[in-house]
Amino acid sequence: MSEDARLAGEGGVGSRVTIAISAIVLVLVCLFPFAWMALSSIKKLPELFTVPPHWLPNEPTLGNYWTVLFNSNIPRYFLNSCIISGGATLVALVLAVFASYGFARFNFRGKAWLQTFVLVGQLLPTAAIIVPLFITLRWLHLINTYWGLILIYTIITLPLSVWMLTSYFRGIPYELEEAATIDGASRLGILFRITLPLAMPGVVAVVVYSFVTCWNEFVFALVFAQDQSVKTLPIGLAEFSTEFNTDWGGVMAASMVMTVPVALLFLVFQRLFVGGLTAGATKG
Amino acid sequence: MNRSSTGLMFILPAIAVLLMLIAYPIVYTVYLSLIDAHGALTGKNYANVLKPYVTRQAFGNLLYYVGGSIVFQVLFGTLAAILLNQKFWGRSAVRSITLIPWVVPGIVAATTWAWMFHTEFGIINYMLTGAHIIPGPVGWLTNKDTVMPVLIAINVWKLFPFVAIMVLAGLQAIPADLYEAAKVDGANFWEEVWYITLPLVRPVLVAVTLLLLIWGLNAITLIYAITQGGPANLSLITPIQIYQLAFTSFQFNEAAALSVLFFIVAAIVVAVYVKVIPSNTAVAR
Repeated sequence: MSEDARLAGEGGVGSRVTIAISAIVLVLVCLFPFAWMALSSIKKLPELFTVPPHWLPNEPTLGNYWTVLFNSNIPRYFLNSCIISGGATLVALVLAVFASYGFARFNFRGKAWLQTFVLVGQLLPTAAIIVPLFITLRWLHLINTYWGLILIYTIITLPLSVWMLTSYFRGIPYELEEAATIDGASRLGILFRITLPLAMPGVVAVVVYSFVTCWNEFVFALVFAQDQSVKTLPIGLAEFSTEFNTDWGGVMAASMVMTVPVALLFLVFQRLFVGGLTAGATKG
Repeated sequence: MNRSSTGLMFILPAIAVLLMLIAYPIVYTVYLSLIDAHGALTGKNYANVLKPYVTRQAFGNLLYYVGGSIVFQVLFGTLAAILLNQKFWGRSAVRSITLIPWVVPGIVAATTWAWMFHTEFGIINYMLTGAHIIPGPVGWLTNKDTVMPVLIAINVWKLFPFVAIMVLAGLQAIPADLYEAAKVDGANFWEEVWYITLPLVRPVLVAVTLLLLIWGLNAITLIYAITQGGPANLSLITPIQIYQLAFTSFQFNEAAALSVLFFIVAAIVVAVYVKVIPSNTAVAR
C-alpha cells in the first residue's frame, strides 16, 4: 500500500511519536475492559468487594470457573448456543448460496426489486416485528424449540449473507462457467463444482459472520427461548447476574467463556471477514 | 434460453423464507394494532399508546441515545481509521485489536462495563477519585444526569470499530498520486485530511452513518442488560417499551400499535438509506 508509505515515511520524529501514543491509547481503550474482566474472573469474592479495588489478585483462583462449569447452567447454554448458531448458519448458508448465484448470474424481471427487498430485510427493526413473530411461532408450536430460534436467526443473517456472496460470485469470471457449459455440465453442477469452490473465501466470511451474529444475539433469544432446555449463553449470562445475587466473579468467568470462542474465530478469519464485509458495503 | 425462470428458481427459497418471517409479520402487526382483545376493529390502541408521557419520553431518550452515539462513533471511528492507515510497527495487530469491541457479544460488553461502573467497587470510580478528577464515588448508572451519557459512551466503545474498518477500506481506495500532488503543492497533513481524504471518503461516511442510525434505532441489548430502562424510565427507549408492553404487561395489541408507529419512523430512515447508497457506490469504489 503505497499511500501508507507516503503518509508516514516522510514524517518526522514528532509525527511518529504522535502515531505511537495514539496507537497505544487505542489499544488500551479497546482491551482494558477485557483485561479487567479476565482479572476479575480469577479473584475471590472478598477481594472483588474490596475498597479500593486491587489491580492484581492477591490469591488468584479458578474457583469462579469451577462454579460456572460445574454449578451452573452455563455448559448447557453453551451447547444450546452451538446447536442454534450452527444450525442457523447452515440454513442461511444453503439459502444464500442459491439466492446469490441467482442474483449474480441471471437476469430476470423484478431482480432489482427483489434485491432491494433482501437489503431492506437486513435493516428493519427487530422490535417492530417481535410481537407477530412471537404469535406466529406460538401458533407453529416452535416457541422453546431449537428450530424456532434457528428459523428466526436465519432471517437475521440471510440478507447480509446474500449480499456478501452475490458480490463474491460476481467477481468470479463467467468464462470459467461457459467452458463447463460447453462440456455439458448442468447449472447445479457448475455451481457446486466450479463456482462454489472458487468462492470458498466468501463462504468462510459468510459462515463466520452468521455464526458470530447468532452467538451474540440477545433480544430474540430472550423472547423465544424461555425454557432452560433451549436458552442460549447471552440469556444465561443475563440470568447469572440475578440468580446468584450478582456474583461478579462468576459473571466475569462466564463472560470469558462466552467471549473467547468468538474472539478466536474472528481473529483467525479476520482478513476474509473484513474483506467480504467492506466489499459488500462499498460496492452495494 | 429460459434463463429468467432458472434464475428465479435459485432465489425462490430465500425469498420465501424472508416473506414468511419478515413481510408476513409486518402485515400481521398492522392487523393486530387495529383490533381489540375481542377481535373488533378499533383505533383505541393507538390512542392508548400515544397518550402517556412515557411514550414521548422513551422516543426522546431514543433520539438522544442514537444521536449522541452516532456523533462520537463517526468521530472516533474516522480518527482511528486515519491512524490505522499510517505505517507503524505492529499495525496489523492494532487493526485486529481495534475490532474486538465490535465482535464481542453485546451482553458481555454490558455486564463488564456495568461492573466497571459499579458505584462502590467499580474500577472507574477508583481511578477517577484516585486522579482527583471527581471528589467521591459517583453512582454512574443510578444518577439521572449520568446514566444516559454513560450508556452512550459504552455504545460508542462498542461500535466505533465498525466505522473504523469501513472508513479504512475507503481510505485504502484513494489513489496515492492525489497525495503526491498535494505534497508538491505544499499541503500539510491536516490540509490533506481536509481537502483530499474527507471529500473522498464522504460516501462511505454517509453509508456508515445511516447504518448506525438504523442499528441504533434497533438497539436493545446494552440498555436492557445494564439498566432495563431505569432509573425511573430515564434510559427507557422505544424498543424496550415495545418489549415491555408485549412481554411484561402482555398488551399485545398496544405493543403492535407502538410497533407500527416505530416501524414508520424506521422505514423512513431505511428508505433514505436505500435511495442514497446506490448513487454513491460508483464514487466509493
